[in-house]
Amino acid sequence: MTTTEPQVTSARRRGVAVARTRHASARVLAVLARSVAIFVPVFLVATFVTFALRSLSGLSPARIQLGEDATPEAIARIEAQWGLDKPFLTQYWDWFSGVLHGELGSSWVNGADISTLIGLGLGVSLSVATFALVIGVVVGFVLGTVAALRRTTAIDRAITGFVTVISVMPAFVVGIVLVAVLAVGFGLFPSAGYIPAEQGVGPWLAHITLPALALSFDVIADVARQLRSSLIGAYQENYVTGAMVRGLSPRRIFFGHVLRNGLGPTLATLGQKFPALVGASVVTEWIFGLQGFGRFANDSAQAGDVPAVQGVLVVSIALVVSFNLIINLVLARVMPASQRGV
Amino acid sequence: MVRRVLALTSGRIAVTILALIALLALLGPWLAPQNPLATSDNALAATSGAHWLGTDYLGRDVLSRLLDGSRISVLGSLEVALVALVVGAIPGILSVYLGRAFEWFTLRIADTLVALPFLLFAIAVIALLGNGITQAMLVTGVLVSPLFYRVSRAATLAVARSPYVEAAIVSGASIGWIVRRHVWTKVLPPIAVALAQTIGVGFVIVSSLTFLGIGVQPPEPTWGGLLASDLGYLSHRPWAPVAPALLIMVTVWACNLLADAIRDVSGEAGRALANDHKARANRREAAAGPHPAGGSR
Amino acid sequence: MSPLTHDTLTSRPAGTAETTFDAPGTADAPDASAAGPVLALHDVRITDRVTEREIVHGVTFELTPGKAVGIVGESGSGKTLTCRAALGILPPHFEITAGRIDLAGTDIATLTPRQWTDLRGATISAVFQDPASYLNPAIKVGAQIAEVIRVKQGLKRRAARRRAVELLGAVRLRDPELVYGQYPYELSGGMLQRVLIAAAIAVEPRALIADEATTALDVTVQAEILDLLAELRERTGLALVVVSHDLAVVAHLCDEVLVMRQGEVVEQGETRAVLHDPRHDYTRLLIAEHDSYGLDTFLAPKEAS
Repeated sequence: MTTTEPQVTSARRRGVAVARTRHASARVLAVLARSVAIFVPVFLVATFVTFALRSLSGLSPARIQLGEDATPEAIARIEAQWGLDKPFLTQYWDWFSGVLHGELGSSWVNGADISTLIGLGLGVSLSVATFALVIGVVVGFVLGTVAALRRTTAIDRAITGFVTVISVMPAFVVGIVLVAVLAVGFGLFPSAGYIPAEQGVGPWLAHITLPALALSFDVIADVARQLRSSLIGAYQENYVTGAMVRGLSPRRIFFGHVLRNGLGPTLATLGQKFPALVGASVVTEWIFGLQGFGRFANDSAQAGDVPAVQGVLVVSIALVVSFNLIINLVLARVMPASQRGV
Repeated sequence: MVRRVLALTSGRIAVTILALIALLALLGPWLAPQNPLATSDNALAATSGAHWLGTDYLGRDVLSRLLDGSRISVLGSLEVALVALVVGAIPGILSVYLGRAFEWFTLRIADTLVALPFLLFAIAVIALLGNGITQAMLVTGVLVSPLFYRVSRAATLAVARSPYVEAAIVSGASIGWIVRRHVWTKVLPPIAVALAQTIGVGFVIVSSLTFLGIGVQPPEPTWGGLLASDLGYLSHRPWAPVAPALLIMVTVWACNLLADAIRDVSGEAGRALANDHKARANRREAAAGPHPAGGSR
Repeated sequence: MSPLTHDTLTSRPAGTAETTFDAPGTADAPDASAAGPVLALHDVRITDRVTEREIVHGVTFELTPGKAVGIVGESGSGKTLTCRAALGILPPHFEITAGRIDLAGTDIATLTPRQWTDLRGATISAVFQDPASYLNPAIKVGAQIAEVIRVKQGLKRRAARRRAVELLGAVRLRDPELVYGQYPYELSGGMLQRVLIAAAIAVEPRALIADEATTALDVTVQAEILDLLAELRERTGLALVVVSHDLAVVAHLCDEVLVMRQGEVVEQGETRAVLHDPRHDYTRLLIAEHDSYGLDTFLAPKEAS
């Protein structure tokens, strides 16, 4: 290896480089394939369960449209109209192929297209959820990092205490406190309502700040806690000793080695947190009077509008699945050793 | 293990709080000074001798409603945890022994349940299956059961495939002894931790659901419901949400504290923690003592 | 290997902690001795703060450039702690409670963290048992070597990369270009130990501590790694501290040997002298155990019982 000819070396190097890029794209494909292999069954089971719900519930559009004292003939006619007289699996298949084409059917209550209805609320909910994620990740990151770097000091204990307090506050408690203090008490923010970003970024931010804050507490707590413990864990790894012995500075060891490995579990936590975030939007949208996706879910469920509820669930699962897909891709980028697991 | 948990300050605090809350749930309805459902003209009253926590928008005594509502909130979260334990732990343990097909199937179900935004799903299922507290608890229990599935499966796997159990079998230890010595000590602590966590999580979910008015019929008081009715009158009684909110938070905190205490006293982490305390104490002693160098004794 | 020859076969019994150790190896390497010892330990004692027990009861030795000192002992004898103390990486709760360690002429008790950072890698470095765990699992091994070169020598990305590949070749890895772009989990234990050595010698330290560096490896790979260390020492004048529970490993590489047991140095002296004429029972036991494994190649005129 000491006396290789230059041409040979450069050719080899090119070969190695090509192999490396192929390696990288193959890894991305592998991650995608593995995630799909996990999420396709998830999607199938979840949609099947949501669909089976209707049969179990015994709810029917006839009841909603005709009232309690309808004749059996009238009920049968309406159910046939909605295709509810077909065998269960046929109904499921019809509905499922519709879902694959992006059609979620129409509402039992007013016959409106459910995809459109959900699309209207989704903008609100996604604005709030994204903002909540940003707040949660940034604040959680800072708190977790500082606590890990100053562990067993008063700063660490203060942060850990703060994180404990906010982690036991359910979103609706945070929401009420925020409304009471910042909206009603000081009048800093509007207590309810929504203004789309097109009508001005300022008002838009003002309206989504409180709900986003309410949602973000949980994320802050989880990110901070996970980051703190995985950073502390990473600091106990031998490779930190190895890097120290090689004479790397503490700063470089933190940013180049510890953070990189500590980030993995934190990202994974974020992926697991996302469904809860989507779920909690029901509560915050109720508190802050936002006509979002969660509010729509709640209203439809209370009204017994089964297709609407199914549509909401499908969309929420799709959201969770795509978010986790992104997380997995980032994870694969940050730590290639996470080959096992996901 | 109970004794070791109680040896920790955090464990003692957690157990005390939880015992008080449980007592509240058992005795709350009798302790209530007034009828929690009786309305009066004295609406939205401030704190007074007659109404320690004031009255709500229908003039009902808030303290009575709080005490009366404790039963549903507390028993509800216990029910959630027990349902989750049964639904999760049994397939979790069986998944190690019943072959690959069962394993694959249960793993996919667990993945699915984890991926569901469970508050949303719980609302949907409860609304469709009929609005009742039992449905609410069952559905919530099933939705949080993957935690038990994972924990019990991991513990069983660790025990079933661990070299030390094999070694014990090879060296002729009786099954009973192995179960007592290895399986029990490995499986029980993580399940206990998960149980404490789930009671906390269940508490949040039950409160969230009752906050939205799901799972209970309107006049019946719950802690979540109290908060919901306070929301509309914040400008009149800004302090009203404090009592139920604090109760919810303290209960959840005590559950988490208990989970941490159990985790701390079991396994490797526990030993490291004890060492840490000892070393710090020793160093302080050495620094304070007459021999500041602290060397050999 | 160029064994340094002495006629003073000093072999020190246990318990003489207060006697200063006058490096016997320096007599034959005048140019090296001019630079002074790279690493000198004087009666180093280490205490565990948890149990308040002294774990290491006084270790003394001196390492001059090009010299190799071996520390032999069973696990728990304190040999690893001694090395870690010299590197300034004692585990939490452990402290040096007496004695002093001089690194390139400076007492390490006076070093600031920044000075430590400058000294590690450039003056003293180390490789350990279980090489896989001492490399960051998420970063390509080549990049980890190049990082050290970039940081410590200020080389540009390109140049650092070229130098890292050279180093991978220098530690006798068969395909340095390929290895450069691989992750730790893609390499075998022997390869990883070579990578670790390459990273350790990247900025040409004066002393290298090899703490059980060959313990987890196959016998053949072990021999290759030992040869590599011997070669590095010969070529670059790298001073070595070789820690092992295996007397044969130490005999293979070292001029001087310390035999440790339960934190006590029970025997210390020139390797051949210790092997030929062990004073302490424990040393005799170690040698006797090795007789059946072909250690007699090092014990030609065998006279030990």
